Amino acid sequence: MKARLIIILTIVLLIHPEIVAQDGIIDCHLINSSFRAFSETVFDQTGIRIYYRDEWVSKLEISLEADSITVREALDRILKGTGIEVSDWNGGLVVLPGARLFSGLPAYAQVAPAEMKQGRKEEVMTVSEARYITGRSPGVTQSIVIGRPGENRGSNIVKALGRVIDAETGEPLHFVAVYITEAKTGVATDVNGFFNLALMSGTYNVQIEFLGYERKRYLFEVFSDDSFVLRIRKTAVELKEIVVSGERHASIRAKEPGFDQVSMKSVRTLPMMMGERDILKISATLPGIVTVGEGTAGINVRGSSSDQNGFYLNRIPVYNTFHLFGFFPAFNSDIIRDLSVYKGYIPAQYGGRLASVFNVTSRQGNRKRFTIHGGISPITANMVLEGPVKKDTSSFLFSARSSYSDWILSRIKDPSISASSARFNDFSGGLNRDFRKSQLSLFIYRSYDYFSLSDINSYEYYNNGASFIIGHNYTNTLRGEFTVAGSQYGFSTTDRQQPSSAYRHAYKMGHYEARVDFRHLLNEKNTLEYGAEMIYYMLDRGTVSPFLDISQRRTVKLGVDRGIESALFITDSYDVTGRIKLNLGIRYMLYTPVGPAKTFQYTAGAPRDPRYIEDSLTFGKRSIIRWYHEPEIRASLNFATDKDGSVKLAFNQMHQNLFMLNTNTSVAPNTQWKLADYHLHPSGSNQLSIGLFRTLPQSGLEFSAESFLKLTRNYSEFRDGADFLGNDPVESAVLQGNQKAYGIELYLRRSRRKLEGWISYTWSRSFIHVDGDHSWYRINNGEAYSANYDVPHSLTTVLNYYFTRRLFLSSILTYQTGKPVTYPESVFYSDESPYLDYSKRNFYRIPDYFRADFSLTVEGDLRKNKLLHNSFVFNLYNATGRNNPYSVYYRTQNGRISSFSYSVIGVPVFTATWVFKLGNYVSD
Amino acid sequence: MYQIRIIKFLLVIGLLIPSCITPFQPDIPPEAVNKYVVFGQVNDNSEYHTVTISMASPVSDPQYSPVSGCSVRISDDNGNQFTLQESLTEPGVYSAHIGSQYLAVGKSFKVDIITQDGTAIESDYDRIPPCPEVGEVYYELDEIISEFTGQPEKGIRFYTDLDAGNLESRFFKWNVTETWEYRVDYPREWYYDGTVHHIYPPDYSRKVCWSTEKIKEIYTLSTSDLNANIYSKFPLNFVSSRTSRLIYGYSLLIEQSALSEEAYSFWDQMRINSTGLGGLYERQPLSITGNLHNKTDPDKEVLGFFGASSVRSKRIFISSVPDLPIEYVGYCTPVLLEHGFAELSPSDYPAWLMGDKERYYMTLLSNDCVDCLYYGGINIKPDFWPY
Repeated sequence: MKARLIIILTIVLLIHPEIVAQDGIIDCHLINSSFRAFSETVFDQTGIRIYYRDEWVSKLEISLEADSITVREALDRILKGTGIEVSDWNGGLVVLPGARLFSGLPAYAQVAPAEMKQGRKEEVMTVSEARYITGRSPGVTQSIVIGRPGENRGSNIVKALGRVIDAETGEPLHFVAVYITEAKTGVATDVNGFFNLALMSGTYNVQIEFLGYERKRYLFEVFSDDSFVLRIRKTAVELKEIVVSGERHASIRAKEPGFDQVSMKSVRTLPMMMGERDILKISATLPGIVTVGEGTAGINVRGSSSDQNGFYLNRIPVYNTFHLFGFFPAFNSDIIRDLSVYKGYIPAQYGGRLASVFNVTSRQGNRKRFTIHGGISPITANMVLEGPVKKDTSSFLFSARSSYSDWILSRIKDPSISASSARFNDFSGGLNRDFRKSQLSLFIYRSYDYFSLSDINSYEYYNNGASFIIGHNYTNTLRGEFTVAGSQYGFSTTDRQQPSSAYRHAYKMGHYEARVDFRHLLNEKNTLEYGAEMIYYMLDRGTVSPFLDISQRRTVKLGVDRGIESALFITDSYDVTGRIKLNLGIRYMLYTPVGPAKTFQYTAGAPRDPRYIEDSLTFGKRSIIRWYHEPEIRASLNFATDKDGSVKLAFNQMHQNLFMLNTNTSVAPNTQWKLADYHLHPSGSNQLSIGLFRTLPQSGLEFSAESFLKLTRNYSEFRDGADFLGNDPVESAVLQGNQKAYGIELYLRRSRRKLEGWISYTWSRSFIHVDGDHSWYRINNGEAYSANYDVPHSLTTVLNYYFTRRLFLSSILTYQTGKPVTYPESVFYSDESPYLDYSKRNFYRIPDYFRADFSLTVEGDLRKNKLLHNSFVFNLYNATGRNNPYSVYYRTQNGRISSFSYSVIGVPVFTATWVFKLGNYVSD
Repeated sequence: MYQIRIIKFLLVIGLLIPSCITPFQPDIPPEAVNKYVVFGQVNDNSEYHTVTISMASPVSDPQYSPVSGCSVRISDDNGNQFTLQESLTEPGVYSAHIGSQYLAVGKSFKVDIITQDGTAIESDYDRIPPCPEVGEVYYELDEIISEFTGQPEKGIRFYTDLDAGNLESRFFKWNVTETWEYRVDYPREWYYDGTVHHIYPPDYSRKVCWSTEKIKEIYTLSTSDLNANIYSKFPLNFVSSRTSRLIYGYSLLIEQSALSEEAYSFWDQMRINSTGLGGLYERQPLSITGNLHNKTDPDKEVLGFFGASSVRSKRIFISSVPDLPIEYVGYCTPVLLEHGFAELSPSDYPAWLMGDKERYYMTLLSNDCVDCLYYGGINIKPDFWPY
């Protein structure tokens, strides 16, 4: 049909119209008639023919009462807002959906003056240019008709459900910004590509923006409740393009304070470590997020400990997000679509962690065709397989990754090393299917790590998880999501250094969660999000048991913790005016540790020390040990100061029932999680943040400044002198106190230029204060001290330079203040015995951290139709070879204490990686 | 240990990713290292009261460095002052005689020190609390895992009961001193120093000795939050069956002191910190604060504690432990002189020989076999020894 239409257009436009058809006058008295009836009326009265196709007008119901009206006027009234345009043609009239025939070319001349002036007037209506007019190309408005005229009964507000999908793969797209110019509001699509709109009927200019995709403008002609689909296409990297003023607001305005979203696309140019692109580590180049050195699995957000972050992969909680002690991400980056980080305003649907939520979502898989891609680096290989199960409605995705580093180790002459082993792997699989109103998604995940050092020690850990989500659109404005997700994390370690005291310790924990989430668009001003969540935790802290018969190690049972965390939550996103947006939410948290359990009771007021155990309490199966419940308020206010800037305020209350027992003196990877219990209370925090955001569209710059203050109570910390390996109850080694963190985060980003990237600087402090009536309730004598991860200055620059579209250089420079440490200052003697005189807690700092990484990427050709796309990535890690101490430690040698610094990577490291994929440059 | 192990883990990764361990001297300012260390005590149980003054040493080079030439003065809250004299044999140790009339319960004492370079150090006042008599001291069979071998070791553990009745004292500390008899295998009878000599009757003076050692563990107890000022079965030291201690007789002196809360808090921190220098990474480090101040430069920390306490003591004696097999085999290994006296050189003289009333054998007995003083004890029977 289209081809025919285009031919018609071409012919039509070359003929000048001689008769002006709209001059015909008619009298019209039609009620609920068809367009055919109207057109017959016109022909009968004036002899003017109206050309149309039945399917374009079959929806129309025509009611028109008018005398002495021109045909054109009548048509305009009937067709207003339907997206159907009227053109004169050869003495008659043509109605075309979304297009108009031009009798002359004045408007067009403004769009492409250069070509016009070169006298190509006659050739103007080539096929491609005709397509241009009908709105298939970027930058040209395409009309989307929502609902039918005349159907809007009852209220004037039209509620519509939209969905954005990738035109080529059929995959729904997440975090696409949809900006409605007239309403001055923006909305972002959800994981399944959906967005809800509530608008007065009328015509709206809509801008769609999504990184890596063509930017599109639509004309939404809104009549009545309806659902519709927008298909957008990938585009190669856009360079030197003109950033249209006002267009970037969508992203800025939709952003909540303290929210960051990193898409895998945006980081495909950054330097990689060992050929692996780690989206979590990349998030640490953003302000307020710090990783303390390499070789650490932890991320510290806004002066908080690493256990205060919740990581979710397609809603599966992941408790160890890294392979090999932090060098590799625990999931294959090639299946990752995006990462969103909530650290300021955390919506009420999220809870259970004090500092942040990291939501990682995977791609859903190509719905149009099978594809395969992978990567090979010196350490790992990975492969992703994806394709449709049923074209357009369902897809699968499977990824596997494995290390093969053992062969390198076995080639090393040193027997203690060739007998060592380090390996890891991970698998994930997803299945997604769309039904008429529901979407179903299943995702499973497994990661595994094994490390052994020459039969002396071995260590392994795993994450297993699965999630099953059903989304259902009840109406255009009410969407529900039902999730069940479960995750298991466990490690086991064997220590064989001393055969007679060799031991094995296995630890495992389970997190099983069920939740419902509803998104309810009430009207054009208010969207409610509400739901409920229930989590069952089971922590088997394991048994330390002798390894082999020769070992005389006593068996120590560390016990099992169980707990149930439930929450109800509701948030209203209220668009107060076009400039002020308010999110107000409340979450009610209920946490109960449950039996079976045995706990000790200590003499009132006495230190919680085995010496003061007075009694023990035994709790039966499923009996409730204690009730902890509290409301949490979440609020944010977003005020647009002008079209390029905004001020944002947020207040956030959080609770955490699960914490990690960690120390700053040991970096044991087997640090354990512990649930709040009879003695240890859940911790709670209040965070206040304020942010200024500004875009400078002409220069492609984006700037933000945020400041926060976070106060935490019941923060758990090892007491002075606590024995990490002791068998005593945890509560005797841990005290709870207050934490105070504050800081300023600055961020400057330049996009879509030859030289692009960002600079982020964070100044923040984090102090812990544990004070009590008695000395045994104090840490550091009751004085506040720097938290283990208190890093006042952190500066990161990420810069990319494109030589050509296929060749680019990128760099990451990182500077951080050294982390705090407690040093022994001197040795003194009492009764001839030596004692160490330690500094105040965390009084000193290890030397500052600096690292420069570079990466050069050579992409294969950009042909669109080809089987395989190759690229090569050359990386230089720690280019300056600086010896960044990761830790400073002491060892007793010949009765003397010597100190050493340990740096993980003290020299530049060069790696080359080959990346291949089926398809072209832009394929996923 | 964990730290080291993890570092090994990382080291292996380091093969893939070069890593390095380099000696590193943390930048600790000298004023944080060069601190005065003062320990001292007055108690109602002795006549002489001592204060030791030393300097702390760098972690990399630990040594005891006494500070001589200070003027040291103890004063009580009634204005009585006692000047301490430095010991001629032990530098840095200052002592004074304080009559028992000054040492009543309820009196408070402090120390003032002026060092040779004019630094003035002063302690807080510490008050003598009343001390109850030492309760029952007894032992039970016990088994521990040896720190050195990792093997289980049988032995006995001592316990004491505390009953402080209505006394105000709630904080206690025990100092434990052990004395045991031990013997070498042979008396001195025959020796060679170029020629063979026979001592008759054999010299038994070096066969039986008594060794006395202070137990280095610190035992502290607070009853401040107990309903009654009573504590049963407070564990004291463990004596292994793999030493010579429990063979011929063992005596334990328990000195029980009542402390102020400040003194208790200090010694309790010392107790936690006393795991030795090896276990650096098994504990959260603990910074100990005492009750001494540098008056000349208030920002400079002074380590140690000056306390006043009342002390009661008790001695018990154990001749043997039923049901505990002794696993001690001495260190004496007689050596057969296959080539006769030619194997000996003058540096070995006097070389003790195995023998009996009539003759000697060509078997050399080292000091391990004939000289109990060699093990560090004394061969004078302590006057408290019951037999």
